[in-house]
Amino acid sequence: MSKIWAVAINTVRQALRLKIAAVFIVLLLVLLPVMGFKVTGDGTLKGRLQTFISYGLSLTTLLLCLLTIVGSIYTLTSDVKQMQIFTVLTKPVRRFQLILGKFLGIILLDVLLLGLFSAIIYAIVVNMPGFVKADDTELARADNEFFTARAGLMPQQADVSKDVDSAYEKLRQNGELPADLEGSRIAVKNYKNELARRIQLSKRAAAVGQELLWEFNNVKITDPNQKLFIRFKYDVSVNPSDLQVYSSWIAGDDRQIKLGTGVKTPIYQFDRRDLIRTAREIEVPADAVADDGYIAVGFFNPPLNDTVIIFPPEDGLEILYKADTFTANFLRGVLLVLIRLVFLAAMGVLAGSFLSFPVALLLSLAVFFTANISGFIIESFEYVGKGVSDIYNVGFKTLLQLLPQFDKFSTTTFLVPGRLLSWTVLAELVLSTVCLKAVLLLLLALLIFHYREIAKVTV
Amino acid sequence: MEYAVETFSLTKTFSDWWGRNKVYAVDNLNLKIAANQVFGLLGPNGSGKTTTLKMLLGLLYPTKGRALCLGGDAAEPAISQRIGFLPEESYLYRYLTARETLDFYGRLFKLPAKVRKMRTEALLDMVGLKAVANRQVGTFSKGMARRIGLAQALINDPDLLILDEPTTGLDPIGTRQIKDLIIELAKRGKTILLCTHLLADVEDVCDQIAILYGGKIQAEGRVQDLLQQTDKTEITTGRISENALVKIRQIIRDEHADCDVKSPMSKLETFFINIVAQARQQAVPTSGAESKTEISGFLTAAGAEKSRPAAVLDELVSPAASTPQPSQETPQTHEVHPVRSSPEEDLLRKLTAQPEPKPVAADSSVQPTPAEQQLQSEQQIRKDILDRLTGRTDSDTKNQTGGD
Repeated sequence: MSKIWAVAINTVRQALRLKIAAVFIVLLLVLLPVMGFKVTGDGTLKGRLQTFISYGLSLTTLLLCLLTIVGSIYTLTSDVKQMQIFTVLTKPVRRFQLILGKFLGIILLDVLLLGLFSAIIYAIVVNMPGFVKADDTELARADNEFFTARAGLMPQQADVSKDVDSAYEKLRQNGELPADLEGSRIAVKNYKNELARRIQLSKRAAAVGQELLWEFNNVKITDPNQKLFIRFKYDVSVNPSDLQVYSSWIAGDDRQIKLGTGVKTPIYQFDRRDLIRTAREIEVPADAVADDGYIAVGFFNPPLNDTVIIFPPEDGLEILYKADTFTANFLRGVLLVLIRLVFLAAMGVLAGSFLSFPVALLLSLAVFFTANISGFIIESFEYVGKGVSDIYNVGFKTLLQLLPQFDKFSTTTFLVPGRLLSWTVLAELVLSTVCLKAVLLLLLALLIFHYREIAKVTV
Repeated sequence: MEYAVETFSLTKTFSDWWGRNKVYAVDNLNLKIAANQVFGLLGPNGSGKTTTLKMLLGLLYPTKGRALCLGGDAAEPAISQRIGFLPEESYLYRYLTARETLDFYGRLFKLPAKVRKMRTEALLDMVGLKAVANRQVGTFSKGMARRIGLAQALINDPDLLILDEPTTGLDPIGTRQIKDLIIELAKRGKTILLCTHLLADVEDVCDQIAILYGGKIQAEGRVQDLLQQTDKTEITTGRISENALVKIRQIIRDEHADCDVKSPMSKLETFFINIVAQARQQAVPTSGAESKTEISGFLTAAGAEKSRPAAVLDELVSPAASTPQPSQETPQTHEVHPVRSSPEEDLLRKLTAQPEPKPVAADSSVQPTPAEQQLQSEQQIRKDILDRLTGRTDSDTKNQTGGD
């Protein structure tokens, strides 16, 4: 271990003294404080906080990712090219110790820099309410919606398999099924999936005068004085002229009314008018939640509207409640960035173990940017033609799944809306990205480097 | 017999990208280097010297055959722990200072912090870089980088030292210092494999050499055996008169041999070293490396503790060295081997035969000091020898002197 550590410390020195890291450090040291004072967002305190943390963390993450890629490739390829490796590998150092030392060195550097810049971002964020003029409402909103870590509960998808089967049977009997379904199991399956989606949607749609009710269990309220939030987004069948719809909401324990036990916990009602296709939040006192963690949310589509209101399955409705502090969430967010950096360091070391610097850099950048849009790529391939889809399913999809999905698990997607990044999610990511993918890359690097001839024959 | 380095049909070929044009960089090399030897691997550029070293050290894999260092594979930590290697260029981390460089390599040998620090300082002192120990190696001249390169090769007090072109880029003092160091280390029981095309280096320090060409050994053996011209004889004397020379020539002609007489020239290396030594005595400032000639104590002491042959050598060769002390400039020692051919022996006997000392006339007025007495006596003896050689009498000498 002491040999690995010696190589690691040397790698940190290399990155710092050869000014590879200096460019990134200076850039961030200048940009972060400037951004802290200059960003305005939507003009509110919450908007400023969200904009700063979004740009600040994104910039830091991007620059550290690039530094990790460049650093991890350079440290190995330069040793081989400038032949310092001759003086290292002729000492009692095994090749795996050199590779692990280089990897550890880059991680150490990342931890150092990530710690520094995260501390700067954190200090600016927590002090921003002090140097921005904001009234109590804005401060309270920032507290409830930004300086928090809110867990989210979504309504469970109803089981519609029986509805699908009966609808399908009905269509078959009426001879209304498409002709190309015959003899193709895949086509039938796809058709049934589409039916299921439509039925699911119909269960989340309210015609004028209709109501919807969702029940939630296990809402863990730590402080009855805190708030919880109903986050919703409307879709409509017909766009209103001003793109706004009326609504009436209730939140509380509806079992008290049904069973006639008397009202122990309050039930709140809200009449609103909101923009369609825009996420909105209703603040509800947490005492609406029953002692057993139950709460029901009801929606009524009033006759003032003349359109069906639909709640999209992916982000139509959600209950948010405070589950942890902002600081703890921020810390987990930083660790999430570190997970990404660990993967990239392993990737860089692997590329540097058998490629020259420019080629390894090109490969690593390609992987990095693909991982950043892997969600989009995966989604877009779902809609391509049959022939391409087969090829994609067999080969490309597997490769994509080997990559981490940086776009899906980005720190800002949690911290900007004040969403809880739980230890469980973090542990799963550590397991899949670090323990599995990064270790796999490192093992591959060790294998290649073990069999590689370090010197060249010169005659 | 145990060999420090041994190769068995060691072969390295390389081809182009398509696997065509196979070229032999090293071809069936069977090399055996006994322990405690200074072995010179010679050859022109591209003869396969460095490729051989790289295969020995595990940086290249042989196409065929095997290479052993200290009885095992040099890639094994247990073996590389005992090897010191100086590559053909000092491939060092430019961003590390000289002190950090040695500390880093010391850490790779897992040397305890105390030992590492002691050795680092001792080596910096030995290679004359103590004054610039905190300067980054990237700012060093080639010679200074070579010195720190050598120091890193010695940080583990190796049993086998592999030096690839060790004197490249060094000034004559540095070159001399390294040669002295090699000799000294050899005395301590180390095995040294020297790979170079600077023949003067090899001639001065190597016991055994092999000459490579085309990846094959073309000649191999002891330096003495390979270089000695047994059909010639060289005699060196103090300054003698023209008349004496004529007589000597006559004697040699009588032996049916030719003779070339000239005043020997000093080596430029010796002259240069003397000039720099004078400048140093006058304390002329320099920003470069300071040349030291002292061997680091830990190299000698540890070596003596570790290996039995080294201990024996200490006793036999240099009794004072067993107690590590800052040594004076290490003197070059040259063994004198008797020439075996009988005509030459006769000639030498004639030239060096000492006559019976004649009594010197005492002068009561002048009492010579003991040193003067000895000098006079030696001059008298030398004069007598020459007189006998040239067949000159006392009267002849007097006349000649008077004539001058």
